Amino acid sequence: MTAVTLGEATPEPTDDPTQASDRRQAVIWWIFVACVLAWLGWKLSALNWALVWRVSPLLWQGYIVSCLLTLVSVALGMVFGIGLAAARMSRFAPLRYLSMAYTETVRATPQLMVIFWIFFTYPVFAGHNMSPWTGAVVSLTMIASAYLAEVIRGGLLSVPKIQSESATVIGLSRSQTFIRVLLPQACRNMLPAFITTLITSFKVTSLVYVIGLIDFFRAASLINNRNFAPATLYTVVAIVYLITCFALSRLVGLLDPKYKLQ
Amino acid sequence: MEFDWTIALRYREALLGGLLVTLQVSVLGIIGGTFLGIVVACVRAMPGLFARRLAITYIEIVRNIPALVKVFYLYYVLGFNAWLAGLIGLAIHQSGYISDVITSGLRSIPREQTEAARVLGCSYPQTFSFVLVPQLLRLTIPPMTSQYIEVVKNSSIVMFLAIPELTWQTQQIEFETARGYVAAGIATLLYLGIALSISALMSMAAWKWRRAI
Repeated sequence: MTAVTLGEATPEPTDDPTQASDRRQAVIWWIFVACVLAWLGWKLSALNWALVWRVSPLLWQGYIVSCLLTLVSVALGMVFGIGLAAARMSRFAPLRYLSMAYTETVRATPQLMVIFWIFFTYPVFAGHNMSPWTGAVVSLTMIASAYLAEVIRGGLLSVPKIQSESATVIGLSRSQTFIRVLLPQACRNMLPAFITTLITSFKVTSLVYVIGLIDFFRAASLINNRNFAPATLYTVVAIVYLITCFALSRLVGLLDPKYKLQ
Repeated sequence: MEFDWTIALRYREALLGGLLVTLQVSVLGIIGGTFLGIVVACVRAMPGLFARRLAITYIEIVRNIPALVKVFYLYYVLGFNAWLAGLIGLAIHQSGYISDVITSGLRSIPREQTEAARVLGCSYPQTFSFVLVPQLLRLTIPPMTSQYIEVVKNSSIVMFLAIPELTWQTQQIEFETARGYVAAGIATLLYLGIALSISALMSMAAWKWRRAI
């Protein structure tokens, strides 16, 4: 083992099939993968697939709820996130500090706690409990908007300064510059970070477990409470999350070939 | 509707106890996550395709499954007790992200550093611990700060295994008094305090190691 590959200021070494050592290692790798898959297949075949088949409508319903929740919260979060990012860059100092305080507070607090804020405070004002669906949408939107605000701000900061200067020179107002010049370019730059936030949002939906909305994860655990089969159900849950999030992470390469992953 | 803030005083012991448990879980999770992350990053930096693919596969699997699912899997399927399941789950979850931080840190150290150390006759472990690690410490402090804050945030999911940490206590207070917003407000402030202390500690570390080239 040479230490030279450690600590090189170069991009990740890519697989080079023309090299004899890489060819040999690729063969070993695929044999290893085949062994692991065979072992996994043997383990998976021992699970209670009849049960999974029987409860699959419930799981599917939960999965749809999770997906919908992700889409709605990211879409709304994008709207509020743009607002927060614009406020963060405004010339009016109180607005700037307010936006910063909100973003940083939400980002430094556990997501469960944000869900609790909404779910515990609402009854005090309204006198009755919030429906789990509304509570989940509101709290997940709050979380997504704070994270997306940072993503958008990063995108905006990556646009060269000369762009906004040129826009000012040709007579665009500040809001026109923001909407017509900065935002479109920022959107392109922030694509990878946006996809990461999308994946995080999908994973965060598993936390609405706590307020009783039946998303994918809660559906599985409710079924587990009724017909006790944790190995089967939680394995299925893990595999479904893995496949969904992995597919989402490949989305970035599809949307913009510039970010094609190796 | 009226806001009754005296609940915070009545339940101060529960909240303080929760804070202590959260700190314990977080510190252990940080240590475990950093250790695992370093191991994975080292495997990934090893020459050859096999080790690299192994590490990347591990990272992809770990990053694409929610921490809650991992913790439940460890607890219900593999049969760990609540504390072990929570800690191992947190450590594994964060190791996927921490190993990425360390990998990019290792890559940003100029290749000449390693080559020079090897020419001077340092062995591989010596090169790693006396040349690369000191630079790594300094380079990775800013991204590591956010990783560690992430561990503190994720520590709240061990409440599902009934470990009495801050979020669990908050929910308990809501169940007992229906005034959970008080507890949630205090808990938020405490979490913010922890996050601020972590970034202050990391800034101090950065100041201490500023010359460690």
